[in-house]
Amino acid sequence: MSKVAMDVPAKGGFSFDLCKRNAMLAKDGVQLPPFRKTGTTIVGLIFQDGVILGADTRATEGPIVADKNCEKIHYLAPNIYCCGAGTAADTEAVTDMVSSQLNLHRYHTGRQSRVVTALTYLKKHLFSYQGHVSAALVLGGVDFTGPHLHTIYPHGSTDTLPFATMGSGSLAAMAIFESKYKEGLTREEGIQLVTEAICSGIFNDLGSGSNVDICVITKDNKEYLRNHLQPNPRTYVSPKQYSFTKKTEVLLTKITPLKEKVEVIQAGDAMEE
Amino acid sequence: MGDSQYSFSLTTFSPSGKLVQIEHALTAVGSGQTSLGIKAANGVVIATEKKLPSILVDEASVQKIQCLTPNIGVVYSGMGPDFRVLVRKSRKQAVQYHQLYKEAIPVTQLVRETAAVMQEFTQSGGVRPFGVSLLVAGFDDSGPQLFQVDPSGSYFSWKASAMGKNVSNAKTFLEKRYTDEIELEDAVHTAILTLKEGFEGQISGKNIEIGIIGEDKIFRVLTPAEIEDYLAEVE
Repeated sequence: MSKVAMDVPAKGGFSFDLCKRNAMLAKDGVQLPPFRKTGTTIVGLIFQDGVILGADTRATEGPIVADKNCEKIHYLAPNIYCCGAGTAADTEAVTDMVSSQLNLHRYHTGRQSRVVTALTYLKKHLFSYQGHVSAALVLGGVDFTGPHLHTIYPHGSTDTLPFATMGSGSLAAMAIFESKYKEGLTREEGIQLVTEAICSGIFNDLGSGSNVDICVITKDNKEYLRNHLQPNPRTYVSPKQYSFTKKTEVLLTKITPLKEKVEVIQAGDAMEE
Repeated sequence: MGDSQYSFSLTTFSPSGKLVQIEHALTAVGSGQTSLGIKAANGVVIATEKKLPSILVDEASVQKIQCLTPNIGVVYSGMGPDFRVLVRKSRKQAVQYHQLYKEAIPVTQLVRETAAVMQEFTQSGGVRPFGVSLLVAGFDDSGPQLFQVDPSGSYFSWKASAMGKNVSNAKTFLEKRYTDEIELEDAVHTAILTLKEGFEGQISGKNIEIGIIGEDKIFRVLTPAEIEDYLAEVE
């Protein structure tokens, strides 16, 4: 291999300059930073009349997109919805279970469910599984005491916030919220801000993508805007079907039976009773 | 009869082939306040007397007719506390069914499971049978249905039935007035008249309870004001 001069500019492609340094650091015990496994952007914010939740719609299996249009905003009660990040089976099972528990609770009390009740059911369950149920949730709803927004982490801790983001795209979405959130947003402004935050996650995070789902909850009403924005449509679909060329030539259509090759080993005795 | 010697233990048959404790449970039901149900062509109505022990009791806090699912309601005759326990168990069973099958529980299934619970308590140690008979009213894909469940765990489907104190008079009255094509509104009037037959004192919206389920498949308990309207129509 010829020697490359140090002042020649890189021609593109991967630069292997730091590999030697990384190998040396690894030998000294320095680890690579860990990467988060939740592929999602979910957000929530409180506006003047209630709560708005938003989510992207991509479900990933490692580097593969498993579902291009999945639903990440789950129903808990008529006035409470929950966005879920993490393992899809975990978020769905947990929200389904808590939704049933809230239903029973409504029968026993005869009252509308409260957001803190849903919060407590969820955190009790997640804590008892010591973080093995990988569900990171943004819980939002409006009840008798007003609008509420909470985040719940897989180990069972919770936060109560005016605006929140979770998932691998949370930093991209939080950047939008931190710069543009203010109290007393109107419905249109709130939806616009949530859409921007989710789009920021969709375009800047590999784990998030496809469409934007929005859910607006107010005191007497809820609106589930499924696929409110679809910024990733399939741009060109061929009008004629794909035709794959036949590569194999048919040489002969005739059936030749093969000759049986039978070996007689030994004449067996009749089976003994 | 040697029955009395066998009446202390629930899980022992008497020589005449009866479980005497269940007979006693039915007696407890028979001395409870009258309740009845009527299955109409387009819905079901259930009703009961709501006689409170004293005028000082806050009658708005007492609700004898309960909702098990959005499309199934239930009323009882007998011991109120036993009823509460059964309602709780039935609601949980309905929700568990939904969890498993993602479908609203059919009326027959819920009745069967509630009856199974009541039967359990007639064959276990250290427990007593429930002192209530239930009238379950529901409307699902098979249409309007009315079931009675007894303390023994047996259940029957009825076109119209009554339980409690005035049962024989009420049933005779219902037999005379029931037709297969009866409409829900007429059924409510018939229910009120049947309750009035054996009512001691002045009947009003505050001392009876009525629950109905129509073609909208939503069970609801009528407010005292609505009952007063029906009473006025009946007069």
